[in-house]
Amino acid sequence: MNSGSIKQLKKPLAIRLGEQTVLAKSLVMAEHPFDRRDFLKVLGWGGAAVALSGCGNGSVEDGKETVVSYVETNDYMIPSISVYFNSTCTQCDAGCSITGRIREGRVLKLEGNPDSTINRGKTCGLGQAGVQHHYNPDRVREPLLRTGDSGEAITWEKAYALIAEKMKDVSGEEIAFLSGGVSGHLKVLLGNYLDSFRSKNHFVYEAIAPAVMRAANKKSYGVEMPRFNISKAKVVLSFGADFLGAWVSPVHFSQQYAQFRKGDEDGQRGVLVQIESKMTLTGANADRWLVVRPGTEGILALGIINALGAAGLRLSGDVAGAVKGYDKARVSKDTGVSAEQIDKIVALLKARTPSLVLAGSAAEGYAHGSQNAAAINLLNQVLGNVGKTVEAAEVVPFPQMAPTTGNTAALKKLNDGLAAGKYKVLFSYAANPVFTAPGAMKFKDNLAKAGFKVVFAHYLDETALQADLVLPLDSALEDWGTQVPEYLATCAQINIQQPLMEKLHANTDGKGTRGMGDILLTLLKQRRAEEYKGFADYYAYLRGALLKNKVALGGHKVDDDTFWNETLSKGIIKLEGHVSALSSRSGTAGLSLPSPAAIDAQYPLQLIPSVNASLRDGRHTNQPWLQESPDPLTTIVWDSWVEIHPRKAAELGIEEGDIVEVTGKNGSVKVQAYLFPGIHPDAISIPLGRGHEALGRYAKGYGVNPFQILDAVFDKETGELALHETRVKVSKTGSRVIVVKDEGPVGGRQMGKKIAARLPSDKVKLSEEI
Amino acid sequence: MSVTSLLENYSEFRHFHPVDDVPHNPYKWAMSIDLDACSGCNACSVACYAENNLPVVGREGFAHGQAMHWMRIERYWDEDGREFPDQGAQFLPMMCQQCEAAPCETVCPVGATNHTPDGINSQIYNRCIGSRYCSANCPYKVRYFNWYDYPTTDNVWPAEMNQQLNPDVTVRGKGVMEKCTFCIQRVTVAKNNAKNEGRLIHDGDVQTACQQACPTSAISFGNLVDPESKVYKQWKAQQVELDKDAQIKDKEEGGSELRGYRIFEELRPYPSVMYLERVRESAV
Repeated sequence: MNSGSIKQLKKPLAIRLGEQTVLAKSLVMAEHPFDRRDFLKVLGWGGAAVALSGCGNGSVEDGKETVVSYVETNDYMIPSISVYFNSTCTQCDAGCSITGRIREGRVLKLEGNPDSTINRGKTCGLGQAGVQHHYNPDRVREPLLRTGDSGEAITWEKAYALIAEKMKDVSGEEIAFLSGGVSGHLKVLLGNYLDSFRSKNHFVYEAIAPAVMRAANKKSYGVEMPRFNISKAKVVLSFGADFLGAWVSPVHFSQQYAQFRKGDEDGQRGVLVQIESKMTLTGANADRWLVVRPGTEGILALGIINALGAAGLRLSGDVAGAVKGYDKARVSKDTGVSAEQIDKIVALLKARTPSLVLAGSAAEGYAHGSQNAAAINLLNQVLGNVGKTVEAAEVVPFPQMAPTTGNTAALKKLNDGLAAGKYKVLFSYAANPVFTAPGAMKFKDNLAKAGFKVVFAHYLDETALQADLVLPLDSALEDWGTQVPEYLATCAQINIQQPLMEKLHANTDGKGTRGMGDILLTLLKQRRAEEYKGFADYYAYLRGALLKNKVALGGHKVDDDTFWNETLSKGIIKLEGHVSALSSRSGTAGLSLPSPAAIDAQYPLQLIPSVNASLRDGRHTNQPWLQESPDPLTTIVWDSWVEIHPRKAAELGIEEGDIVEVTGKNGSVKVQAYLFPGIHPDAISIPLGRGHEALGRYAKGYGVNPFQILDAVFDKETGELALHETRVKVSKTGSRVIVVKDEGPVGGRQMGKKIAARLPSDKVKLSEEI
Repeated sequence: MSVTSLLENYSEFRHFHPVDDVPHNPYKWAMSIDLDACSGCNACSVACYAENNLPVVGREGFAHGQAMHWMRIERYWDEDGREFPDQGAQFLPMMCQQCEAAPCETVCPVGATNHTPDGINSQIYNRCIGSRYCSANCPYKVRYFNWYDYPTTDNVWPAEMNQQLNPDVTVRGKGVMEKCTFCIQRVTVAKNNAKNEGRLIHDGDVQTACQQACPTSAISFGNLVDPESKVYKQWKAQQVELDKDAQIKDKEEGGSELRGYRIFEELRPYPSVMYLERVRESAV
């Protein structure tokens, strides 16, 4: 690092040094990407040398560079001393606040920010792996342009000119912008860019977002995402909501769960009953896990209401009418849950209040998913939980920054447009539909019909490979941003995202990565130069936008610089949100649940694509920590598997490790079998997220992608994909592998030793514990 | 002292851990893990990879039993023969139990693994010759061997990925054994900070990486000889004593109502990790 390359950053960054909060007006960092040798030089070949691996990209040994130590150390760049910056995790959209540990200019580790009411200093495994997104060796580093079958690296200047040229004569109707969930100022800029063409074609697509639940909640409670107070509940009855795994805001719910178990308020331990067809992580933690015939969750909910009424709970006329036919005998026959078990649940719900009923993705994933969710929400209303454990969340008073949400209904609309050849230019950001769209939609083929395809990408994923122009993005740890989480814990807040280090792949030769905000700003300047000329970059835009609203954001007493530095230092702006009361309309109108479907002779099994807390929809599969992090329930690593109940496996003559072919109407996959007791015998389950044909070295070629064999069945009310409606058959291929997993050869047995021990609750006095 | 004399009078010379006349002072690091809070989510394990420069060994390596996860989540099923696991699964975070009388220590031919004054079972990488006796003798199977030189192995830490390595933690080379250190690098920093302020480490000054990440706060870590520490209070409330191979409370008729227990206590390794039993509702 010769001294000529060190420059003052113009951007003030706020730094937390140890426990003390220090505000810094400037931070000196190297302009070039940091490399290992530079740090060693800085350290004077000090103790860190042993800690770093031996594959540097410097060339001190060759005598091409000289070792220059810090004569005068730069502020906050003390060798061996870590500094901490606050930012926001973007590995999923729960909006956890993080604190990055930075040493010698490199971000080393991410921890939770204790000041966030969402994650309170905690992180999940997915969040921990955020550094591997940033340092990933397979990131795209320069804009790529396709010419025929080959691609070439071009400069940003050329890329922008190309976009301007392509956008010159298109109408708003002919543009489509596909994105994952976006919020904050990025959403504002994106909206403004589309507005500049009078285009309304923003398609928001998150493959595993709880879209049906949102719609059902809107109907039952008046809001899409109320607040669920797990910690206040004495009983949680969860219909397939994997709130400890991948559902909505798992780190937040995990903390609530811990409080719920300890009975923080009165020492009474909360009881968790999980009802689902395939055991999730949450199901594995339940006091009682009830296996239910796939798709009959709503029937069971109505059956419980009926039984509650029979047990003396007063039901209103319309509710009593709606559940009339759902007597225990019928419900038990339809769902496979015994009458005795229903009685126990009813007794528990009556004895311990308040309770909380959750409708998760497992209940939603059917053609009658909305009906299932409505029936489950009705149970909450009947139990009087609305207003107690289901509360209105605060709303951030800037609606233009609120998160956009969407799922496959939006993708389907886009897909139909593409099939009709409607779009001359297509943008895609933070979505990988070629990988995640159900095979039956033929999305890849339809995508080819778009005139010019621009993909903003971190990796060359399946969608980027179909693009005409790939624009490389900064990692989440290099970029600026604001974010409004969809699920707000206890107060309204805006999360701040700020760079934790200099860009790894800086803009040299006009190439390198850029931030999404910067790109949108440049594109907007092509359209509305006058309006945006005051903003040199996205940073300036963000700063300006937040300072303009300083008073509303709680900064009325301080000057601009102090407000800005404090905001960055905290990483969170907490706001006085407004709360509107939940409506508690009992949603019995139009409630009708189909009888369980008869078993299809040709395709007798229900395919449940399961969501793993680490891999989710597969966008982070190229982070090797996540590949090597065993699935909690099967302990399998680096591969896909199909879960089959031992009874069904015995019927079919399948043993662990058999490669089986799972065939549906829309194709088949070959995958290793794992005998799993936590699944309905008429269902099988393959996890989502693996089976990439691209993305990078840690993802490509590992496992299979169940999205590809999904049928295009949609929820009748919302038009969202019914993820669990694919029927398949399973046949042996004759080959067999040894399943690569963490559990030992005796599986999950303790061999009579006291290893993982358990006590019944009536023996324990939790309130006396520390 | 002749060898004969040593062998004949071994009990006089044998050094016991824990020693009650000279307890660890001023620090004895210990943990307690609440299995009723643990959800088995694996955040602790990934956090450990991030903090301690653990190599990713890939599918082949994992298949050969070469995984390097210092912290792993074990998953157990009920063994009552029921068709469905209707009481869920049992998760158990397992890492080095930092035994007071560690079976791994006595078998090391070169003294590479030994007991620190803080009561941690430490591994000295540059003394280790890779005999793997320690691993064979560990009842918990929490020692991990470097079968390859991971820093130079393809795709373990390729360019850029190597910049994430924690400079406070040695990257291990081929042929040495490694294991959980209770994040000794963090303890060292906290010790130095406390020393500069002329005091001892207070409870909460230092968190292990797994503890810090844990979304349900199931893991507590602290100084077992500090009466102010949470770990001390928990061990005391649970009546689990470090230097016992069977706890007095377990001899009560009908078993104890307290949840604290240590795994394989009867083997007399005197582990420094107490687990709190998982609770399951009796009403359903």
